[in-house]
Amino acid sequence: MGGPEPIGAEAMNIFDAVKRANRPGPPEHSITLRVACAGAVVTGIAACRAEGELSWTVAGGSITLVIVGMVLAYRTRLRPLPWIKPILAISAVAAFVWFFRQLTGQAIYDVSTVENPLAVLFVWVQVAHAFDVPARRDLAFSLAGSASLMAVAAAQAIDLGFGVYVLVWLTCGLAGLIAMWSSASDGGRMRVGGIIATLGSVAVTGTVVLAVLPAPHVAGRIDFPSAAGPGAPLPVPGGLAGDTKVAQLAKPGTAAGRTRVGGFLGFSNRLDTALRGALGDTVVMRVRADRPSYWIGETFDTWDGANWMTTPTPHSPQRLEEDSPFILPGPTVPPATTSTDLQTFYVVQSSPNLVFHADTAHEVWFPTHNLFVSDHDSIVSPIGLGPGAIYTVESYVNTPSTEELRAAAGSSAVPASILEQDATVTHPYPRVKALAESVSAGRTTTYDKVESLIAWISKHTRYSTDIPPLAPGQDTVDEFLFGNRTGFCEQISTSLAVMLRSIGIPAREAVGYVPGPYNPITDLYDVQAKDAHAWVQVWFPGYGWQSFDPTAVVPLANPSPGSTLWHGATAALGRLPWVPIALVLMLSGAVALVVVLRRRRPRTWAEKAARGIESAGRRAGRRRRENETLTEYAWAIDQLAGDRSGTWQALAGIVEASAYGGRHPTPEDDRQILASMRALRGELPRAGVLVGPGALRRNAPERRRSSPPPRGAGGTPSTDGDD
Amino acid sequence: MTGRADRDRPVGTSARRRRFIRPVRVVVPLVSCAGVLVAWGLVAHNSGAGWVQAVGDVLAGILGVGLVAPAIVAARATVRIVEVPSDATAGLPVELVGIADTRLRVKPIDPPGPESYVGPHTTPTPVQPITLLPESRGVHDRVVLEVATAAPFGLLWWRKTVVVALPRTLHVGPRLGRPLALPGGGEDTSGGGVVDSSVQIGEPRGVRPYRPGDHRRWVHWPATAHSGELMVREMEGPSAEPVTLEIHLPADTDAAERMAERAMATVVALVDRGASVRLATTEASGPKIGAVGDRRSAGRRLARAVAEPDEFPWADPSPSGPRR
Repeated sequence: MGGPEPIGAEAMNIFDAVKRANRPGPPEHSITLRVACAGAVVTGIAACRAEGELSWTVAGGSITLVIVGMVLAYRTRLRPLPWIKPILAISAVAAFVWFFRQLTGQAIYDVSTVENPLAVLFVWVQVAHAFDVPARRDLAFSLAGSASLMAVAAAQAIDLGFGVYVLVWLTCGLAGLIAMWSSASDGGRMRVGGIIATLGSVAVTGTVVLAVLPAPHVAGRIDFPSAAGPGAPLPVPGGLAGDTKVAQLAKPGTAAGRTRVGGFLGFSNRLDTALRGALGDTVVMRVRADRPSYWIGETFDTWDGANWMTTPTPHSPQRLEEDSPFILPGPTVPPATTSTDLQTFYVVQSSPNLVFHADTAHEVWFPTHNLFVSDHDSIVSPIGLGPGAIYTVESYVNTPSTEELRAAAGSSAVPASILEQDATVTHPYPRVKALAESVSAGRTTTYDKVESLIAWISKHTRYSTDIPPLAPGQDTVDEFLFGNRTGFCEQISTSLAVMLRSIGIPAREAVGYVPGPYNPITDLYDVQAKDAHAWVQVWFPGYGWQSFDPTAVVPLANPSPGSTLWHGATAALGRLPWVPIALVLMLSGAVALVVVLRRRRPRTWAEKAARGIESAGRRAGRRRRENETLTEYAWAIDQLAGDRSGTWQALAGIVEASAYGGRHPTPEDDRQILASMRALRGELPRAGVLVGPGALRRNAPERRRSSPPPRGAGGTPSTDGDD
Repeated sequence: MTGRADRDRPVGTSARRRRFIRPVRVVVPLVSCAGVLVAWGLVAHNSGAGWVQAVGDVLAGILGVGLVAPAIVAARATVRIVEVPSDATAGLPVELVGIADTRLRVKPIDPPGPESYVGPHTTPTPVQPITLLPESRGVHDRVVLEVATAAPFGLLWWRKTVVVALPRTLHVGPRLGRPLALPGGGEDTSGGGVVDSSVQIGEPRGVRPYRPGDHRRWVHWPATAHSGELMVREMEGPSAEPVTLEIHLPADTDAAERMAERAMATVVALVDRGASVRLATTEASGPKIGAVGDRRSAGRRLARAVAEPDEFPWADPSPSGPRR
C-alpha cells in the first residue's frame, strides 16, 4: 500500500468514468414523453422547411424517418438492436462529411450557402438519433436537438407566422418536460393548478428576460445575410426597375395610374410632386437595424417646378465589380463623429431595385457579382428585387450635434460642384426668396436658417394626402406656399428645398422609407408602403448631407424590445374602457362574494350550531384544533369558562346527536338552543358561567363530566356542509 | 432520532420542516442549462434575429423555472404518515403509508430506508408505501425523511429534510440473535417450568373430566363415550414458575444491540418451550419488570430498554441467565 499506482490506472479510471457516463439508462416506457419529443423534432423540421432551409423532399422524408425511428426505438427499448448504433455512427460521420463538402470551395453569396446545409446536418443528426432513444436521457437529447432546429429556423424567420411553429414546439417541449418529470418521479401527476402556475411562471420569466435583454446585434457576424430572391437581370444595367419582379424599367407615375413603384411614385428617374401614390398598409420590406433611420432610396438634384430629376453625368452610374461585399466609393475610415449602422433589408413585396440604406452607405452585402452607384448616392441593383431578396448595408451615420452644425462653416466652404448643382433653381422664385429671407432674417448660421424655415412651414401649412392633383403647368412650390398651403411630404419637402436654394443653401430631395412599426418579437421594422417618404438633405461643410424632415419627426431613441413592449402595453391599457371594466369587475366580485358566502353558509342545524360553538370559542381566545372533536372542544370551552356543569359540552352533545345520531331537536328547541348559545357566548369570557336552558337539559345526553371526553366514533361534525 | 422536537403537533398531521432547501447534483443540470442558454445567446447575437431571441427568452424562462421551481415546490411540500404498524423488527422492512400534496421522492433517514415515491399519481394505483429498514431497535414516534422533487420539469432535484410525526408509536424490536444456553428439560422434576423442549403450549396432553368453565370445543367425544362421563382434552399450559430474564444493557450502542438481540432470542426460545417469561429491563422511566407472553411484547420491551444510567460498558456483554 502507498506505492505508486500502476501505469494506466488513471486512464482506466477515466475510461471507466466515461463508460459509466455513457451507460444506457433504464428503458423509458412513457409514450407521452416519446410523442412529445417526436412532436418537438417534427415541428423543428417543419419550421426549417417553412423558412426555406429544407426542401419538401428532405423535410417530408426526415419527418417520416423520425416517426419510424421513434416507434422502432419504443418497440425495442427493452432490448435495443445491436447493429443500430454502428449504422447510426456511420450515418453521422457521413452527414458531417457531406456538410463540409458543401461548404468547401464555394463562394458565399447566399444565406442558403451555409444555413441550409447546416439545417440539413441538424435534421440528419436528429433522424439518426430518433432510432436510438431507448432511455429517458436519449429522449431529453432529442428534445434539446429539436431546440437547435428551432434556432436554425428562427434565425431566418422575419414574420409573426413563425409564432405558430414556436407555439406548437413549446407545447410539445413543455409536455415532454412534464412527462419527463412524471416519469422520473415514478408516475407523478401534476394538478391543473400546478400546470397553470408553471405556464404562468414560464411566461412571466420569459417576458421579463425579453424585457430586460437588449435587442440582439449583428455586429459579430462574419457574413451578413443576402439572398437574390426571384429577381432577374435587368435589360439596362444600372437602370431603375419597376415594382414587379419582372425586370422592367420603372416609369414615372401619372394621374391616371397613381400606383407605381411600391405604391410610391418616387422610385424612378423622376419624382412628380403633383401626385401622391395610393399607398397602403402592405408591408413592403422588413428591416433589422441598429437604430431607426431614414432609409434612402435615391436623391434628386434638379427641380423643374413640378418634378425632381437627377442630372446625368458621364461617369454615373459607377459599376462595382468586386463581388459581395461591395465597398462603396467614399471615405474608408469613418470620421470621428460618425458611427456605423448595420441594416439588413428583407424584401417582402415586389420592390424597386434600389438598395436602401441609412445615411452614407459604406459596404453592401448583395447576392450579385456587381452593383451600380450613382453620383447622388443611389445604389442600384442589377437584378429586380422581389419577395425573398435580402441584402445588408453598413452605413456611416454622421450625427453632429446642434452646436456642431451651428459652428459649421457657411456657404463659402461648400464645394463649387455642390453649389452649382444643389444651390440653384432652374427658374426664379421671387416670392419664395422673399419669404425665405424674411423668415430667416437675423439667422446667421445655415442650421438656424433651416430650422427657422421648418418652423415656419410647420406653423403655416397643413399635411394632407387628400388633395387633388395639381393642374398641368402649376408650380408645386408656389401653389403650396402661396395657395392653399396644404400638401403631402413631397410638396412640403420640395418647398423647403426650394426656399433653401433660393437663399443659397445647398439642398436636395431624398426619397425612401421611414421606419415602420417596430416588432419586438422579430426585432424588425415592418416597413409598409405608406412609409414611403420624401425629405430634404442639406449640405454642411465638414459633415456632408444632413437630413431634415419638415413633415415628420423621426424618433431618436433606439427602441429595445422591453421598452417597446412596455410602451405598447401601457398604451393598450390606456385605451381600455376602464369605467365599464371596473363596473364589470365590481359586479363580478359581488357575485363571487355572494356565491362564496352562500356556499359557506351552514346547511343544517347541526352545522350552524357547531359553527356557533366554534365562534364562541374563538371569541374566548380558544380556536378549535384540527384533531379535536366538537365535544372535546366544548369541554375546553367549559374549562375556559370554569363551567363545571358542562353547558357547552351538553350543547356539543346535542349537535353530535343531531349530526350523527339522527336525534334532531324540535324546531322550537332549535331556536331556543341557538338563542341560548348566543347569550352564552356573550358571557363566555367571565369565569364561572352557570347557564343552562331547560331545552339543553332535556336534549343533552349523559355527558356531565369534568374530564375531556374520549374521541367518539362519530368524530367531528363537519362545518363544511359535507355531512 | 434527530431533528426538532415537535411534540405540540398532533400525531398524524404533517410536520413541515423549514430547513435549508438544497439542490441535488446541481453541477450537471446547471452547466447544461447555462451551456444551452449561452449557445442560444450566441446564435441570437450572431444572427441578430429577433425570433431567436424571443424563443431564447422563453427557453430561458423554461430552464429558469425548471431549475428554481422545484425549490419552491420542495419548500412548500408537506408529507403525512397516515398508517404505521406498531411493531417491527430491526433489519426487516416496515411499510408506512404516506400521503403528500405533490409527488415527492422520499428517502427515510431515521430510521433509514430505500427511496420511494408518494403523492399524486397519474393512475389510480394502490397506495405506494414508504419502506423503513431500521438497523437497530428503538421506539419511534416520528420519522426523519428526506423529501425531494424536480417538479415541474425534472431538470433539477431539490430536497429538504422533514420530521414527520407518526400516527402511532413504532416499536422496533431487536433482531433474533444467538440465544443463551438454556437448561435442558430433563433437569426439571417438579412437573412445572420447562418440561420438554418439544412440547408446545396448547398441545394436547391427555383427557380429564369436565369442569365448569371448560369450553365446549374441548370435549373429547371418544373418551366421553368410552368412559360414560363428559371428558375434555387437557392441554399443555405454561410452566408454573416464570423465568425472569434480567437485561443490563451496556452504554455502548452496538454492544447493547447485540445483547438485546441475544435477549430476544432467549425470550423467544423460552416462550417457544412454553415457559412463562418475565423480563427485567431498564427503561427511560426506570427499571421495569413484567411478563412477556410472546415475541411482540418482548420486542416492545427490548425496544424501550436503555442502558442503566450508571452502567459501564461491560467487558462481556451478555444478559444474565434465566433465573427461576
